[in-house]
Amino acid sequence: MEKFKRILVSNAVPIAFLALSISAVLVARIPPLFLVSEIVRRLSRNTFLVLSLLIPIVAGMGLNFGIVLGAMAGQAAMFFVVDWKIKDIPGVIVAMILGSVIATLLGWLAGLVLNRAKGREMITSMILGFFANGVYQLIFLFFIGSIIPFKTRQFLLPEGVGLRNTVDLYGSIASALNKVWIVRIGTVRVFVVPILITVGLCFLIYFLFKTKLGQDIRAVGQDMHIAEVAGIKVNKIRIIAVIMSTVLAAIGQIIYLQDISTINTYNSHEQVGLFSIAALLVGGASTRRASIWNAIIGVLLFHTLFVVAPSAGNKLFGQPQVGEFFREFLAYAVIAFALAMHGWSAKKGKH
Amino acid sequence: MRRSVLILLLVFAVTLSFAALGFKVGVVTGTVSQGEDEYRGAENVIRKYGKEIIHVTYPDKFMQEQETTIARIVELAYDPTVKAIVICQGVPGTVAAMRRVKEFRPDMIFVVGVPHEDPEVVGPIADAVLETDTPGRGVTIVDIAYKMGAKRLIHYSFPRHMSYKLLAERRDIMEKRSKELGIEFIFVSAPDPLGEQGLTGAQQFILEDVPRQIAKYGKDTAFFSTNCGMQEPLQKAILRHGGIYAEPCCPSPTHGFPGSLGISIPPEKKGDINYILKVVNDKIIELGGAGRFATWPIPMNMVFVEAGVDLAIELVKKTVKANDMAGVKAVIDRVISQKVSGFGLKSISKYPNAGNYYLVICDSVIFGVTQF
Repeated sequence: MEKFKRILVSNAVPIAFLALSISAVLVARIPPLFLVSEIVRRLSRNTFLVLSLLIPIVAGMGLNFGIVLGAMAGQAAMFFVVDWKIKDIPGVIVAMILGSVIATLLGWLAGLVLNRAKGREMITSMILGFFANGVYQLIFLFFIGSIIPFKTRQFLLPEGVGLRNTVDLYGSIASALNKVWIVRIGTVRVFVVPILITVGLCFLIYFLFKTKLGQDIRAVGQDMHIAEVAGIKVNKIRIIAVIMSTVLAAIGQIIYLQDISTINTYNSHEQVGLFSIAALLVGGASTRRASIWNAIIGVLLFHTLFVVAPSAGNKLFGQPQVGEFFREFLAYAVIAFALAMHGWSAKKGKH
Repeated sequence: MRRSVLILLLVFAVTLSFAALGFKVGVVTGTVSQGEDEYRGAENVIRKYGKEIIHVTYPDKFMQEQETTIARIVELAYDPTVKAIVICQGVPGTVAAMRRVKEFRPDMIFVVGVPHEDPEVVGPIADAVLETDTPGRGVTIVDIAYKMGAKRLIHYSFPRHMSYKLLAERRDIMEKRSKELGIEFIFVSAPDPLGEQGLTGAQQFILEDVPRQIAKYGKDTAFFSTNCGMQEPLQKAILRHGGIYAEPCCPSPTHGFPGSLGISIPPEKKGDINYILKVVNDKIIELGGAGRFATWPIPMNMVFVEAGVDLAIELVKKTVKANDMAGVKAVIDRVISQKVSGFGLKSISKYPNAGNYYLVICDSVIFGVTQF
C-alpha cells in the first residue's frame, strides 16, 4: 500500500494528465482514426526535439529553453538546402550536417554564457532565445540576398533582399524522411524512418550515459563542486552538454519541418522550446531529473490533449472559440501545474 | 387522394431543397480576439444553414502553433459528410493542411479567404481564393488620403509584416503613388505585436507616436498601419490630436471603430452593418472627425466567410465554376448587397499564375461625407 502510494505520488503529473486526456477524448468524440493517426504522426515528428532536452537536465542545467537556437540553426540550414536545390534524402542529410555545424557554434556560445550564469540557466537560456531571434530576423530579413547570396527568387521578398514569411518545402525536402518507408494500418500511416531515427537517438542517449563523458555529465549534474574536486572540468562538460542539446534540436527541427512541409520563416522555431518542455514535464520529468520514457510518454499525453482539447471545449461549452481558449488554457496550465507539482514533490522529498 | 399525396410530396421536396444542402461545410476562422469579422461571418452562415455548418477556430497564436491549425482542418475532413471547407483567414499551415486533406479526400472543395501564405503556393491548391486586392489598395489608400487633404502619409509596420510579399508590394506601390500625387511617404517601424512586448507594447507605441508625428508634421498627416491590433489606438490618437485616418488595414466599419469611439452595439444589432455604419458616422461627426476618416462599408473578412460558404456550396453543386470570374463576382456582390444595399465590388481581378486567386476592391466611404 505504501509502495503504491509512493508510485502514485512520484508519478502524479503523468497520471493526472492521463486522466485529463481520457476524459477529454470521451467528451470530444472525435473520429478515433483521426486521433490515432495524428498521435502516431506527432510521435514520429516531435519526440526527437523533446529528447534533445535530456542531456542538459542530467548535467544539472535545468530545462534548456535554448533549444530554440538549435531550431533556428536547423531552419537556416534548410533554407540553404532548398536554395541549392538538393532534394529529398540528400537534402535532409546536407541540412542536418550544415545545421549541426551552425548549432555547434551557437551551442558553444550559449554554453559560455550559461557558465557565467550558473544557477540561473533556465531564464538565461530563455532570454538567449529571444536575443537570438532578433539576430535571426536581422540575418534573414536584411542579409539574405544582400550579403549572403541566395538564388531562389521565389522565396525572396520583391526587392530581392530578405526571405518571405513562408518557405514552401514542397517539391524539395517536404516529407523526405516520411515517404521513404510508410507502413499503412488501415488509413493510419506510420512513418518508419523518423521513428527509427528517434529510437536510434534513444539508444545513443542510453549508451552515452554509460561512457566516461556520460558519467562526467551526471557527476556535474549531481554536484559541481564535488565534480570539480574529482578533477572533472565542469565548465567544459557543461558546454559539451549544451552543444549536444543544441545540435540535437537542430536535427529535431529538421525532422519536424520536413513533416510539416512549410517553414514559417520567422516563427516556426519560437514555440519549439516551450512545447517540448511542456511535453517533457507532462511525461513526469522535473528540472533535475528526466528520462527517455518521460519524453515519450510526455509527447503522447501532451499531444493527445492538444489534439482533443479544442473539440472537447467546443462540445462542453457549445462555442467554437471557447474550444480554442480551452486548449490554450490547458497548454499553459499544464506547464504551471507540472512545475508546481515538482516544487511540491521536491519539498516533500526533503522532509 | 392521389393528387393530395402528390402535392404533399412536392411540398416536401421543395422544403427539402431549401432547408437542407445534403452535405456539410466546414468553416475555419480565428477567435473574436484575433478578428471579430470572420467569426461573426461564421455565426451568420450558421444562422442561415444551421447544423450543416461546422465551425472551428484556429489558435490565437497561429504563427507559432501551425500544428494545431493543420490538425483542426484535417479533423474536419475525416467527416465524410463534409464536402467543402472554407478557411478565413488562411493562416500559415493552411497549405500544409489542404495538401494533407487532398491526399485522402481529393474531392474536398477548399475556399480560402485572406491567405497569409504566398499566392503562388495557396492558389494552385485551393479551389478558390478570395483576398482584398492588397497591391491595388496601394493606389486606393493613397488616393483616399489625398482626397481627404493629406500632405504626408505615415505607414506603420514591422519586419514580420514586411516579409509578407503582398504587404511589401503594397508599401512600394503606396510610396510610388504618393510621389505621383506629391505626398511625402514616411515609413515608421512599430513594435511587432507578436513580439515579446506583445500587443499592449505595440498599442502603447501607437498612442505615443501619433501625437509626436503630428507635432512634427502637422495635422494634414495621414496614417496607415498594417496591423489589426493597432487600428483602435491609431483611431483614438487621430481623433484626439488631429490627423487623417486613411483606411484600416482590413477596411470595415467594425475594424477598431466601435472600440475607439466607445460605441456599444446592442446584441440584436450585432450583424446589422447599416446600423453600425450610421452610429459610427454620427459619432465621428460628433467628435470632430468628419471628412478625415475613411473605410469600406462592409467588413471584407465577413464577406469572405459568407460569400466563401455560398461559393463553396455552388462549387460542390457545380452550379458555378471556380475559374469563372463573373460567376464568383456575382456571388460576392449578392452577399454584399444583401447587407448594405447600393454597394458592391469596385473591381475583381486574378493574381497572375496562382490558380483561382481572386483580388477584390470594394467602394470606399468617408465618414461625414458619404450619405448613409
